Amino acid sequence: MKLRRYFSMTRAGMLEQLQFRLGSLVTVAGNLIYLVLIYFLWKAIFASAGTDEVNGMTFSDTLIYLVLASALFSFMEMYLVWYMGNDIQSGKIVLDLIKPIGYRKFLFWTQSGSLVMSFLMTFLPTFLVVYFLTDGVIHLGVNLLFFMVSVVFALTINFCIDFFIGTVCLYTQSIWGINIMKEVIVLLLSGATIPLAFFPDTLRRIVSYLPFQSIYNTPLTILIRNSMPLQETLTMLAVQLFWACVMLLLTSLFWRRSIRKITVNGG
Amino acid sequence: MDSMIQIKHITKEFKVLNRREGLKGSLKDLFSRDYKIVRAVDDISMDIAPGEMVGYLGPNGAGKSTTIKMMTGVLEPTSGEILVNGQVPYRNRTRNAQEIGVVFGQRSQLWWALPLIESFKLLRDIYQIPQKQYDQMMGLYSDLVDLEPLLHKPVRQMSLGQRTLSDILAAFLHNPKVVFLDEPTIGLDVSMKNKIRGLIHALNQEKHTTVILTTHDMGDVDALCQRIVIIDHGKMLYDNDIAHLQKFFGCYRTLKLRLKEAAPEDACKRIQTELAQAFPDPATPSVSVQEEWVNIVIDEDKLSMMDVLNTVQHLHPIEDIKLEELSTEQIIRKIYEEGVQ
Repeated sequence: MKLRRYFSMTRAGMLEQLQFRLGSLVTVAGNLIYLVLIYFLWKAIFASAGTDEVNGMTFSDTLIYLVLASALFSFMEMYLVWYMGNDIQSGKIVLDLIKPIGYRKFLFWTQSGSLVMSFLMTFLPTFLVVYFLTDGVIHLGVNLLFFMVSVVFALTINFCIDFFIGTVCLYTQSIWGINIMKEVIVLLLSGATIPLAFFPDTLRRIVSYLPFQSIYNTPLTILIRNSMPLQETLTMLAVQLFWACVMLLLTSLFWRRSIRKITVNGG
Repeated sequence: MDSMIQIKHITKEFKVLNRREGLKGSLKDLFSRDYKIVRAVDDISMDIAPGEMVGYLGPNGAGKSTTIKMMTGVLEPTSGEILVNGQVPYRNRTRNAQEIGVVFGQRSQLWWALPLIESFKLLRDIYQIPQKQYDQMMGLYSDLVDLEPLLHKPVRQMSLGQRTLSDILAAFLHNPKVVFLDEPTIGLDVSMKNKIRGLIHALNQEKHTTVILTTHDMGDVDALCQRIVIIDHGKMLYDNDIAHLQKFFGCYRTLKLRLKEAAPEDACKRIQTELAQAFPDPATPSVSVQEEWVNIVIDEDKLSMMDVLNTVQHLHPIEDIKLEELSTEQIIRKIYEEGVQ
């Protein structure tokens, strides 16, 4: 019965997405343009380097990574901060708060429909195209299973970061600047725009202590890298799990504190 | 009988930053700790029985919405106690939410892009309404309104009236104990208003749902509520039956006369002095002019309409006559403007 409640929300989200066919098409088109751009950009980078391998990655490695990263991005991006900001500014949040479900859960499940849709419409096709085009570079095996688990963790962390930033809107009442800042930081430090291998050593060390790399770098590495030792995979998943738990706890505490403050002092 | 909503001396204060003017002031505000306390709700108490329908009135900014938000658990009162259905709303918001329904006339809780039926199904699952109860409710709804054409229409394509109607149905769907209706008839045409009132009345009768209704339309109040609560500046002004309101404010009626020959301004002055002689203070009615009419406001507790008419009739030839009752709307306006003496 409980599960049905959540799946019902997912279903409504999917239906909602399907109402906006044109919107989905435009998103796909926008992604294609982005892919053409990174193709030429990295081609130029490798050409100027003059070697086949830069920082241990070949041109096709890099491209596969970035294409899948962009697909993963369109899959995971829920535009949650915009949604929350709008909710808070317009006061519509009151209606969501008086649902018999916690706000964070309510948000996740109402947005989850678009996740399913973008998985089917963006990530899966992109993955298949890359898989068949590169002809065997990506290994299909147990890594696929690990990748699934890893994506669930990544999704959790990404959602929590968004929710955290969204909660900040309760104080600031404006979201634009803070959301742009978040996007830049997350996309850069997670390895979504540039593979972490290209980072200078110091920065890479710093990044390894932060939760961001768990969002894009970890699942993609698990998916792409051939014959990765099981030990290493499990360690990466453990780190993800750790961050997922920390973020869940943190957002929960922050949200409860904030909403109390708001309800006490008025917003 | 146990009460459904019990409010004891609640007060709600907001901390508001003192904003300064202009660019320089705004820059200073960034670092300002200069807050002032605004008291939005000030010592309000009331007791509402199960199944009661209460009109909650007050001018804009009186603190109505704040009180409603406290009753729904969205806001926590600064002091005082609230019990809704035996629970403290803000302490367990999600559990309280299961027992209440809310309609904000200005917003919709329905899924914008989807046909109405999808929103209903979703609410059924979110509130975990048993299928049997859901079917019963849908049956009741189709008896009350012409539901079929609405069900398959996306909410964003609905007219405001259809949307409000749907929102009200959605709020009652999980058969809550209390429903808060915040300006449900705002912006609707006369016939739609009537339909909505009929629907609210029927649902209240059928399900014995307690209804708290805030509105600026006295037609809603006259049609639906036995009891009204009026607040202004966060303070309670009135809490009693609507019938009582007339007495509470005095039984005023206005006698309107059009006189032959005399200009209304002159007649007004003469009648005022004549009536002052005939009916010494404090019963003296007040006389005023409105276009070609002379208005005499009579407090019928103190003197009879016929006496006044007789007196005037002896002294002036009367061409035409009208009698006006004080409507609820006029009384409420008087209370908003002048407060309660």
